[in-house]
Amino acid sequence: MTVFILSVILFLIGLYGVLVKRNLIKIALGFMIMEYAINLLFVLIGYRAGGTAPIFTQDVSGQIFVDPLPQALVLTAIVIGLGTTALLVSFAVRIYQKYESFDIRKIRELRG
Amino acid sequence: MNWIPAFVAIPLGAAFLIPLIEHWIKGSSDFLTNAVTAFLMGLTLSFIHQAAQTQVYFVGGWEPAEGIPFGIALVVDGLSVLMLLVVNSIAFFATLYSVKYMARYTDKGKFFTLFMLMLAGMNGVVIAGDLFNMFVFLEITAIASYALVAFGIGSEELEASFKYQVLGGTASALVLFGIAIFYMMTKTLNFADASRVIAATGVTPALLFVSVLFLVGFGLKSALMPFHAWLPDAHPSAPAPISAMLSGVVIKVLGVYTLVRIFFNVIGIGTIPALKTVLLSLGVISMVAGAFLALGQQDMKRLLAYSSISQVGYIIFAFGLGTELGILGGLFHLMNHSVLKSLLFLNSGAVVYETESRDMEKLGGLMHKMPVTGTTSMIASLSMSGLPPLGGFFSKLIIIWASIDAGYPLLGAVAVIASIVTLAYYFKLQKEVFLGKLADAFQKAKEAPVLMCIPMICLAIISVGLGLLLLDPVREMVLTPAVHVIQGGVDYARMVLGG
Amino acid sequence: MNPILFSIGLPVVLGCLCWMVSGRNRWLRESLTIAGSLALFVIGIRFFISIPAPVLWGQVTLFSLDALGSMMLLACGFFGFLIALYSIPVMRDAEMRSAYYSAFLWTLGAAFGVILSNHLLLLLFFWGMLAVTLYMLILCGKSQTASESARKALIIVGGSDGILLLGIFCIYALTSTFEMHLIRLPLDGGLAILGFVCLGIAAFAKAGAIPFHTWIPDMASSAPVPGTALMPASLDKLLGIYLLMRMATRLFILTPVFNTALLILGTVTILAAVMRALVQHDLKRLLAYHAVSQVGYMIVGIGTGNPIGFAGALFHMLNNTIYKTGLFLAGGAVESQAGTSDLDKLGGIGRLMPWTFVTFLVSAFAISGVPPMNGFVSKWIIYQGLFEMNRSGNSLWIIWLAAAMFGSGLTLASFMKLTHAIFLGTPGRDIQPGRVKEIGLLARIPMIVLAVLSIGFGIFAYGGPMRHLILPSIGEVDYPGIWSPGYATLMVLLGLVAGLLIYGIGRSNQNLREQDSFIGGEKLPVENRVTGTGFYETIQSLPGLRFFYRKAETRSFDIYVQGSRLVAAITRVLRKSHTGVLTFYLVWAIAGLVLLLVWLMGR
Repeated sequence: MTVFILSVILFLIGLYGVLVKRNLIKIALGFMIMEYAINLLFVLIGYRAGGTAPIFTQDVSGQIFVDPLPQALVLTAIVIGLGTTALLVSFAVRIYQKYESFDIRKIRELRG
Repeated sequence: MNWIPAFVAIPLGAAFLIPLIEHWIKGSSDFLTNAVTAFLMGLTLSFIHQAAQTQVYFVGGWEPAEGIPFGIALVVDGLSVLMLLVVNSIAFFATLYSVKYMARYTDKGKFFTLFMLMLAGMNGVVIAGDLFNMFVFLEITAIASYALVAFGIGSEELEASFKYQVLGGTASALVLFGIAIFYMMTKTLNFADASRVIAATGVTPALLFVSVLFLVGFGLKSALMPFHAWLPDAHPSAPAPISAMLSGVVIKVLGVYTLVRIFFNVIGIGTIPALKTVLLSLGVISMVAGAFLALGQQDMKRLLAYSSISQVGYIIFAFGLGTELGILGGLFHLMNHSVLKSLLFLNSGAVVYETESRDMEKLGGLMHKMPVTGTTSMIASLSMSGLPPLGGFFSKLIIIWASIDAGYPLLGAVAVIASIVTLAYYFKLQKEVFLGKLADAFQKAKEAPVLMCIPMICLAIISVGLGLLLLDPVREMVLTPAVHVIQGGVDYARMVLGG
Repeated sequence: MNPILFSIGLPVVLGCLCWMVSGRNRWLRESLTIAGSLALFVIGIRFFISIPAPVLWGQVTLFSLDALGSMMLLACGFFGFLIALYSIPVMRDAEMRSAYYSAFLWTLGAAFGVILSNHLLLLLFFWGMLAVTLYMLILCGKSQTASESARKALIIVGGSDGILLLGIFCIYALTSTFEMHLIRLPLDGGLAILGFVCLGIAAFAKAGAIPFHTWIPDMASSAPVPGTALMPASLDKLLGIYLLMRMATRLFILTPVFNTALLILGTVTILAAVMRALVQHDLKRLLAYHAVSQVGYMIVGIGTGNPIGFAGALFHMLNNTIYKTGLFLAGGAVESQAGTSDLDKLGGIGRLMPWTFVTFLVSAFAISGVPPMNGFVSKWIIYQGLFEMNRSGNSLWIIWLAAAMFGSGLTLASFMKLTHAIFLGTPGRDIQPGRVKEIGLLARIPMIVLAVLSIGFGIFAYGGPMRHLILPSIGEVDYPGIWSPGYATLMVLLGLVAGLLIYGIGRSNQNLREQDSFIGGEKLPVENRVTGTGFYETIQSLPGLRFFYRKAETRSFDIYVQGSRLVAAITRVLRKSHTGVLTFYLVWAIAGLVLLLVWLMGR
């Protein structure tokens, strides 16, 4: 249970970063922390105490495996997260070229 | 041969091939993209007659054992067919329109790649039979649309896209969080299987927590108030065919469809008592506030974007009623709104194409210069405001009927007031863009190119004809299967897995 | 084919044909319109003579016709045909003619649909279509304000369609039927009252009664005149009052509270609109305010709740349509010939357009309730309805009666001003004999027909229109005071002859000298002429009324403007909150998340 709460706290730290930081890059970082917290949580959900890697061999009776599904899913999620992060950071750079600022509060041409 | 995976495979393959072929043969991407979207539209049409039965395709042949699915299931039922129909037909008209419209932007090949990715993602979301695949396809759509919103690479486009990414990314994070908890709770991600598990365990705090996460996550995707703030920035900034796709289809697939699928078919709308009230309040807030905000806009496309918030509010409101009539109204309004809003964004694109302006204070009197654009936009506005004899009238009628029928006459009255505001802003648009005095700056404006007019005319004809969907034989074919799927609720599990 | 479906389908199809006829084929479009409206008139007569069988769909009666409906159809067909005749010369040089004629035919089709519908949803459908055609008709106007007036009319009338929708489903929730002939709903619960109010708003918005009247003056000043004559002056009155009649006599069982509410709204409509009419400077706006004011009488008639009042309301509706259409047609003729509808610029047209002058005068007498015109008779019957209330023990009747009679007096006053300003007095600068001449024959015929009807309906009221048109739908009524029009007419004629004799004797006196007006020996310049527009300017500065006039000038009583202001205020707050700062948006989302968490998990 403790590890779950810890990963939720990690998630909240990421959220804090996204909410409070003004710098686009820091927002992106907070974002990544949020994603990793969830990935961590997901992997932990599949964890079984004393379990081994879920590799099926001839004789598997009596062995405890960790749940393989979350691991597969998290791999996919990491790839997706990579994509979004790359896009986010590259946009931050382009925005810097246009607005000459990384401050999210100054990037507000669209409003109302 | 089973064609279900083709809905994802074909556009995904096209997304890779189009830029390659474009590299060797200049101009081939126009033809290829349209061929692909036309084929997909035809494929969807061929699915209509079998909409009433649920078809399941197990990827790789991993059939379920003892009623427990192992592999990835793709499910096409009445609701999916309806969504596929909307997605692929709007996509076809959008690509047809892009041929001429996108010629002003650089690198059409990449544009079409992103477009195809978005299309593949949406088709995937609609036919995915489990939560995780839905999430993956949802992310594919989302990433493609982040990039498409910023396709113009102006400062406003970048700003809008960045906001879209952060809010959309938050939504994805919350959804993934929800999926994690959901998996912990049910030990499965397959919709049908999970639905059985939930039916057995009943309401637990974990289920409530997951529901909240999904509500917020998909609420962000469907831009319900107060999760809407990215939409009025992102939708107007995109190139017109993409605005049409985003407002017409993307928010409905990523937001409305997913909400309906999960809450009606997996969790069961009756399982959690407060759920209907939550959907109703989100819907009412969105439809009223969206309408008011739309009325205050001076930017034509921004007005349309706020209008989308308001109309999605209507749809969610109708679903939240939970009665058969409400679901019918919601689905019918969903179809109407897809067609009409895409048409209106294409119209706005034509205006921008000819005048380089979307400021309603500067525009005016374009009806005589651009009769096709003006007339189709007038038809769409009339229909959208719920005036007979067009389709929008019937969806408004059904939704308000449903709200009184379900015992919410006051919410019905609120919906009527919002519809009057809708009337006000759509005819503000008509008055300030197409009617009145023609500004001197636009004396030279002329009708948009034929290739842009054709999709507009087709969509206008479809929008006029959509009222026919309510006639018995057609309704039985298209709408009723979808209504039955939603109305059937957790019966979905039996339809997919049998037994 | 079923005659009822044919009568609705024909104008719709012809309207579509009109739309497709290309710009050159003017005669084809015009003959389609004339043929279509004539056919509808003939159908109206046929339906009036023998009521057709209802159209059933399974067990459900979709369309049916009764005595009230057949009278309405006859009237719609008749006015449609007359205005179609009038449109041909007047609309000849307008832009968007094809749209005009299509909208014209669709309007007629939809109006027939409303009256023939027995199913409430069909009524709603056609009701909304009328809003769309109204929008199209206004857009055909040449003026710069046409698009704004069109939007305003569409929002009020089209919005009332949405409210009607709500009301219909409230009724359905209580009665489980949409068929009007099965509904008889007592007003004893929230839902029933909501339904009644919703239907009432729709009827008021269409007929143009206060507080939903404000689209009519705006429309009148920017739409083409035949369009104004078709919709607010005739069809909209017919249909709005038709719905109100249906509500009062069939759909609902009214209680005294609602009768009183109708009476209050009716008298307020009469007085407020006529007061505004008094001070208008534009011919069409002035007429439009009268169009509003007259609705008040009909509402008062219906508000009495007794058969005499109903009969009076219906008869007044018919009469009002006759003379008000006549007035708009005559006014339109003046405008199309003189090129302006500004009263300050008109004047002295009576000699140049004698036919128009005479027909206008007849209609003006009729609307002011001068015996023996039709307007007098129907007002008289409505007053009798008010007396009848006295007999049933309602003591407030005297207030309504006084207000209605006062309104009638003000109407006469404002038409004195109007007649003077247009037809009498010194001609304005641009009114010269060579340039302004009588309007063409095709436009003159309807005006003459309407004037003759105004007189005929007055003199032969009881034997003719009352017995054959009105009473079949009301049943027998017994009048407390009968007015014998024949005798009175004789007396009026005698008085007129005597007056003419005296005038003639005076003229023949050789000592009389005629001179143009002069001041201090100088001829009066055209700028200083008495136009008549200043007649009642002083009323605006009367202590009690000054406040209301000033408020009316700033549009404080315009529900559309007030609604827009309210909406704009809300919108401003909402827009302010969209600051463009991403963090702020994220906070909303997170707040929503927390709120939902508390809501769902807090139990």
